[in-house]
Amino acid sequence: MQSDKVLDAKGLACPMPIVRTKKAMDELASGQVLEIHVTDKGAKNDLAAWVKSAGHEMIQSAEEGNVLKFWIRKG
Amino acid sequence: MAKKVAIIAANGGLFDAYKVFNIATAAAATEAEVAIFFTFEGLNLIHKEAYKNLPLPEGKEHFQEGFQKANVPAIPELVEMAKEMGVKMIACQMTMDVMGLEKEHFVDGIDVGGAVTFLDFAKDADVTLTF
Repeated sequence: MQSDKVLDAKGLACPMPIVRTKKAMDELASGQVLEIHVTDKGAKNDLAAWVKSAGHEMIQSAEEGNVLKFWIRKG
Repeated sequence: MAKKVAIIAANGGLFDAYKVFNIATAAAATEAEVAIFFTFEGLNLIHKEAYKNLPLPEGKEHFQEGFQKANVPAIPELVEMAKEMGVKMIACQMTMDVMGLEKEHFVDGIDVGGAVTFLDFAKDADVTLTF
């Protein structure tokens, strides 16, 4: 999966993954893709909800060991 | 129009601080306009000294270790982040007077106001929370 920017938020607890995601997203242009790596299990539902209310699109997610990966396209 | 989230922080423990600032920063990260009204013991959460070392509830001191293990950000860090994201913080004038506190006892960038200041913001808020 191609991404324009990768955010490493591993080891961070709520609400940091969301805060960092928002900041990283602010630097992207509409249509660009942000790849996020987290270990916070709560981020799975949080990011899904955040994407919905912030008007972006979750294109893909994956689980590799204890790392959760997400690809979000900026709306 | 952006969603509005209005929060009243009326308690001054470490648990209270996390409830308030986690919700506030998460809301701000979701493009909401956020205001927190700090009153009574809630003033501790933005007090320059007190907020560095907020108490855990009695008998729950062992959670300190859990906070470290979970890599939860420190409260001053969350306050800084909230400010950076535009969260409006209002210290309650009346309780400041009762407790003998001045604006300079608090972190920079806060406002001081009365109940109406908060109510004016909260009257058309989408979410209102009290902690």
